[in-house]
Amino acid sequence: MHLERTHNHTWRKIKNALAVGIAFTSGIFVILPLGLVFFYLLINGAGSINWDFFTKLPAPVGAAGGGMVNAIVGSLELLALAGVIGIPIGVLGGVYLAEYGSARINALLRFLADVLNGVPSITWGVVVYGLVVLRFKGFSAYAGGLALALIMIPLILRTTEEVILLVPNGYREASLALGVSRWKTIVHIVMKTASKGIITGILLALARIGGETAPLLFTAFGNRFWNHSLSQPIAALPLQIFTYAISPYDDWHRQAWAGALVLVTGVFCVNILVRILTRGRGASVV
Amino acid sequence: METPEQTVLERLERGTAPPPEAELPPARTFEVKNMSIWYGEKRAIDNVTLDVAANAVTAIIGPSGCGKSTFLRALNRMHELTPKTRMEGTVLLHGEDLYATAVDPAIVRRRVGMVFQKSNPFPTMTIGENVVVGLRLNGVRNQRLLNERLEKSLRMAALWDEVKDDLHKPGTSLSGGQQQRLCIARALAVEPEVILMDEPCSALDPIATAKIEELIYELKTKYTIVTVTHNMQQAGRISDYTAFFYLGRLIEFGPTTKIFTNPSEKQTEDYITGRFG
Amino acid sequence: MIAAKHILGTFDEALGALRNNVLMMAGLTERSLERAMKGLFDRNDDLCATTIADDEEIDQLEKQIDKDGVDILLRFQPVASDLRRVVSAMKLSSNLERMADQATTIARRARKLNRHPALPEVDLIRPMYDHAMSMFKDSVDAFTREDVELGRAVVSRDEKLDDLNRSASDKLVERMGRDPGQLRGYLNLIFIGRCLERVGDHATNIAEDAVYAANAEDIRHPSLATAT
Repeated sequence: MHLERTHNHTWRKIKNALAVGIAFTSGIFVILPLGLVFFYLLINGAGSINWDFFTKLPAPVGAAGGGMVNAIVGSLELLALAGVIGIPIGVLGGVYLAEYGSARINALLRFLADVLNGVPSITWGVVVYGLVVLRFKGFSAYAGGLALALIMIPLILRTTEEVILLVPNGYREASLALGVSRWKTIVHIVMKTASKGIITGILLALARIGGETAPLLFTAFGNRFWNHSLSQPIAALPLQIFTYAISPYDDWHRQAWAGALVLVTGVFCVNILVRILTRGRGASVV
Repeated sequence: METPEQTVLERLERGTAPPPEAELPPARTFEVKNMSIWYGEKRAIDNVTLDVAANAVTAIIGPSGCGKSTFLRALNRMHELTPKTRMEGTVLLHGEDLYATAVDPAIVRRRVGMVFQKSNPFPTMTIGENVVVGLRLNGVRNQRLLNERLEKSLRMAALWDEVKDDLHKPGTSLSGGQQQRLCIARALAVEPEVILMDEPCSALDPIATAKIEELIYELKTKYTIVTVTHNMQQAGRISDYTAFFYLGRLIEFGPTTKIFTNPSEKQTEDYITGRFG
Repeated sequence: MIAAKHILGTFDEALGALRNNVLMMAGLTERSLERAMKGLFDRNDDLCATTIADDEEIDQLEKQIDKDGVDILLRFQPVASDLRRVVSAMKLSSNLERMADQATTIARRARKLNRHPALPEVDLIRPMYDHAMSMFKDSVDAFTREDVELGRAVVSRDEKLDDLNRSASDKLVERMGRDPGQLRGYLNLIFIGRCLERVGDHATNIAEDAVYAANAEDIRHPSLATAT
């Protein structure tokens, strides 16, 4: 066998360069729209980001000025509500799927969760409208939180389950062989080992629902003022952006841009946080 | 009966030859009777009866798929973790039935510890936390007791001197052989009566293996040890009794010297001399 | 009685080579003894000289067998029957080497006897020779065929050889008294008798090793206390 170059070699080099070029170009095409969106937001929104935006309530209709502080705080409140409901159910459900149950039931549950993950989020809004808003005769933060939670649950369920399944069986066996009970093994060993992955799943779910608008349309409904009780309507950043964007007022358009920029930046930061968390010790799962 | 203290000279004076090895019946830790285990439809263990001697090392040898690991795991009910297992027969630990309906498997496993083929210190814990995790998760809170057991177990596992200044480092920062000794310390910390070892050295280099064999030798004065091994020279080196399994059946069981110099069964002889397997 | 082959072919080859060397050494030793005694009975100095010269080959074989044995122990870590066979082969080689040395001694003494007129008393040691040689052949047979009964039988015949030796020695001593002129000749014959008696002892050792190799039974030195 010769080690010298043959003419095949040149042709292979060309093919190689071509493949690299195509991959590179495709990558650019993917990143470009994202970059453009962010850039556009930055141009249109950065000008309206000021102290007022983060501290003032919306001005009366038609008047200039004001801010979105109630929407920002409202979004955070809704996230907290959704988290309180959705995180425990999602995580425990994921643990159940991974550790307990029978093969057939689990396959069914997984299928259902995957289906629910694909359901348009407005559907959840409608469901909660029928179940809660109509029954209690009013829009409320509870309803908004519940709708968001329902979106979160199948998401966290699946990510938790996958991450727990990734924990090597050797750790479970080692713990059980020490005479530690099953549930303690799951909580103190398995979940602890998978903790990074579980937290990542939760953060990503929070980032996802943070930007959901449709389910909040007929549950939280939005509020131009401070929300004083969770059984009252509450403002949320995406909702506010929607309301302002379709309005005829230029000032509100400006603020909508700013709001969108803040929202995207928030999601961006959460993802960076996730990256930082998953960078750590080598023995992490996910 | 001659005592070990009598010297050769005294024996010569009395004109008798040295006595044969004292044939005291060894105390029995496990009594296994007619054990059969099925995984679904497949029979993995076929009517095995044997007694495991106390304060001795019993080695289990045999070709792949002969049921050695299944048998070992049945001694501390770990085989029940596999779905669809069924067991018949009895296993007595110092006379108590391990499989009685009222018995909690977790309690069994506290008395019969296990060390696995691939060392598995918990990655989220430090060395110190790894050793005492069995105690802590079983409800022991007394810090002084935990520290005592920590040092005692690491000393017994011949690891104390190497790690005593590094107890805060992650368990996975040790070498392979050290990790395995850490797992042994972890098993010792809950003060079991028996230690089961499933091919403890197969993933280790010769020096680490030798250290663990030396450790097994020291441990057997206090514990009963049952070990599965593929390495017949190792079985010959460390064990007092050897059981040869084939296709789920116990073919032969006896003192290691007999099994390795003059086994009774032809299958045993063929396996250990490398004529099949 | 060698069962199926080892999975490791080189192991079988090594064991086979060791065995062949032992058999060859046994054959050469047998030949040396026969030559030496024939040189005595037929008063043939050439045969004696050949015996003495061939001893070197046998010594080299002993070294080879020991080296090969250690090599097998090192490389293959044999157990059970394999281990017993290797250890016995090495012990056999040392017994055979000493038997060959006895043959050399017999040859030297025969040469000395041949310088003087023939002694009719030479026939006194013929039965000893026959007995010792049959013990030798049977002991090697027992080893080759792993025949435990034959091995035991050889061990029990050693006593008879000792008796034969004693009675031949006694007769020769008596002759020495009656005919002091032939003292040197009679002494040489007594020594040759002793060599043959030692040949019988070595054959006994070989038979005991053969029983051990076949059976893991150590039938040496049966004591009053143990009945193995």
